[in-house]
Amino acid sequence: MLDWPFLTDVLGQLLSGLPLTLQLAALSLSIGFALAVFVAGAAGSAFAPLRWAAKAHVELFRGTPLLLQIFLIYYGLGQIAPLRHSALWPFLREPYWCAILALALNTSAYTAEIIRGAIQAVPAHEIEAGRACGMSGLLLRRRIIWPIALRQGLAVYGSEAILMIKATSLASIITLTELTGIAHKLISSTYRIFEIFIVTGAIYLALTFLMSAAFALLERQLQAHHAHRRA
Amino acid sequence: MTSGMFELLGFGPQGWGLPLLKAAGVTIAAALCGFLLGSIFGIGGATLKLARPRALRLIGQAYTTVFRGVPEILVVYLFYFGGSVILTTLMNTGGFPGFYSLPSFVIGVLAIGIVSGAYQTEAYRSAYLRLDRGQIEAGTACGMSKLLLLRRIVAPQTLRFALPALGNIWQSALKETSLLSVIGLTELLRQAGTAAGSTRQPLLFYAIAAAVFLVIGRATGAGLNRMESHLAKPWRR
Amino acid sequence: MASASRPAAADNASTVPAIAVDGLHKRYGAIEVLKGIDFRAHEGEVISILGASGSGKSTFLRCLNLLELPSAGRLQIFGEQVDLRQSGDALHIGNRRQVDRLRTQVAMVFQNFCLWSHMTVLENLMEAPIHVQRRGRGEVREEAEAMLRRVGLIDRAKAYPAQLSGGQQQRAAIARALVMKPRGLLFDEPTSALDPELVGEVLKVMRDLAAEGRTMLIVTHEMAFARDVSSRIVFLEQGRIKAEGLPLDLFRGGVNERFDQFISRFNQA
Ligand SMILES: Nc1ncnc2c1ncn2[C@@H]1O[C@H](COP(=O)(O)OP(=O)(O)OP(=O)(O)O)[C@@H](O)[C@H]1O
Ligand SMILES: [Mg+2]
Repeated sequence: MLDWPFLTDVLGQLLSGLPLTLQLAALSLSIGFALAVFVAGAAGSAFAPLRWAAKAHVELFRGTPLLLQIFLIYYGLGQIAPLRHSALWPFLREPYWCAILALALNTSAYTAEIIRGAIQAVPAHEIEAGRACGMSGLLLRRRIIWPIALRQGLAVYGSEAILMIKATSLASIITLTELTGIAHKLISSTYRIFEIFIVTGAIYLALTFLMSAAFALLERQLQAHHAHRRA
Repeated sequence: MTSGMFELLGFGPQGWGLPLLKAAGVTIAAALCGFLLGSIFGIGGATLKLARPRALRLIGQAYTTVFRGVPEILVVYLFYFGGSVILTTLMNTGGFPGFYSLPSFVIGVLAIGIVSGAYQTEAYRSAYLRLDRGQIEAGTACGMSKLLLLRRIVAPQTLRFALPALGNIWQSALKETSLLSVIGLTELLRQAGTAAGSTRQPLLFYAIAAAVFLVIGRATGAGLNRMESHLAKPWRR
Repeated sequence: MASASRPAAADNASTVPAIAVDGLHKRYGAIEVLKGIDFRAHEGEVISILGASGSGKSTFLRCLNLLELPSAGRLQIFGEQVDLRQSGDALHIGNRRQVDRLRTQVAMVFQNFCLWSHMTVLENLMEAPIHVQRRGRGEVREEAEAMLRRVGLIDRAKAYPAQLSGGQQQRAAIARALVMKPRGLLFDEPTSALDPELVGEVLKVMRDLAAEGRTMLIVTHEMAFARDVSSRIVFLEQGRIKAEGLPLDLFRGGVNERFDQFISRFNQA
């Protein structure tokens, strides 16, 4: 009943889009994380306008659809004349960088909230204990607050990373031929939607499964590190 | 510039105000129908996952794993292309030659419903698991039948516990409607794109669409919060 | 003659017992929790069920309300044989309607109160009478308010369970049971989850009920209450009734060695 030659053919073609999918996810996740650190910092800053900017950033990118953000960047930025004449334009003209920018901005908003939540969840008495040992400022953050927050935020960040893998599929709509882009082409030309859906879906499921396994492993290692310290 | 902008966004014959407003209506309708369909799938999925027979639990598990793990846009394609493949085959074998497809609104509602349902399954399942077994037992001990127990005790409390998660899932459903622009549904994003194309003002129109999404999300979120705090009242000391 | 001060029914085999249990067994898999219990409770009796933890007291009580299904045995409630059918080596309910009806006849009060947390106290009281017994709302409301007045909670009728103290919740739970106009009441350690200072208010309500001549079965660790209020003591050990009798006789000691050991261990603890 299953047309194996067709399935393997589809699989082969789809896998050629896998590197692009992974690239999009990896780049936007790392850029997004760096941005998120700034946004979270700004959100906790004593300077009110910074706080407002951070809040607006989070609100905007979490409250609107990712596809809209992609369109806004891909079609909208060209309307800004100074940008069109700047050194950035060769990048921002490319759907590839537009997709990465949109994905990174999008995940940065969610990640900033995750960071904020994780830091807020650090028990007050552990911070007190650090202060009691004479720690403060960066040392307190580096040795006490951030490690504890990392442990607490890791699981939530894991699901954000998985969502981002799925989100890269929207890059196909601005012409990128990553996994979903290829799948769409195959569907339009063969109309064998069910087979192609199954194979493409399976690849995404495998990716998300690997991602959650990786995060579980990371978490376990941090846990072990923690236990070792305590002993 | 300002007067031009008013004309662009106005409700006159040159203005994009009315089409955008209509498109916002389509967005809300698709999100609402999809979410409600998702509630049916979600309650069904949670029932499967909580059922005793292993086979049923596995079906429920497969459902949530697949539709939470696969990109939403692929699910939209599945219903778009799959729907027309099935419909065309049926019609052709029934003696009606040609090519047929489902209305894009219907496809959109189905796609959002099935994805939202996978997430709602988890919301309902974990809410059900939080129920106090003692209270259910107390109902049984008062002679309540299974159905009465479900209607009077289990359902209201499950809804109460699921509501915060359901609020988040609603927001996702609302944003997912934007994917339906790719299958030709004239919802907010597509209408904004049309306006952007014919006026060469993408920045303006996408920003407006973003603002409308924010307003809808905020307004419905506030409504849900009020409902949540109303339903949470009995649990506060 | 000696029994003149006890409820006459207790010794009168000709009247129909309120609850009659014959050869009751309960198994969970391989372990047998109840190993053949024969028991009669007559109308108006107040019976305390005592026994060490794990002796099967709760299981026994729950079988009477059919929250647990006996593995074997016969059960008669107010003269009505419970329709339990043999299938394989287990019993199952033959007639759901009958069971649901009988459950309103022997109302249950739980250790953890188990009031429905999304309903006010008054709604909790009115729920089963309206939806299970299908009585009129007006009549039920009056009855519910009367019961709340009686347990001293009328001013908390509109409160939710979470806003009440444990003692208040348990009094409301007793009122909830009473509004169904049950012919018998089953209590499973009604004061065990309460702070010591709240035990008294609940015991007082139960004392009043006992004085009214209600049929009550009470699993409890309140020895003074069992001794002073009950008309009969049933002592369970490892799923069997090991001793049974008037509280004064049993508590005096020397009637049953196992019971004396139980009491002395209890007093030491
Ligand atoms: N659902 C169950 N599955 C398996 N074993 C059970 C179950 N319920 C009770 N038991 C076992 O049956 C025995 C009697 O339990 P039961 O709750 O009737 O004791 P109890 O006399 O009420 O004790 P306690 O004073 O602690 O409430 C215990 O050993 C218990 O572990
Ligand atoms: Mg017990």
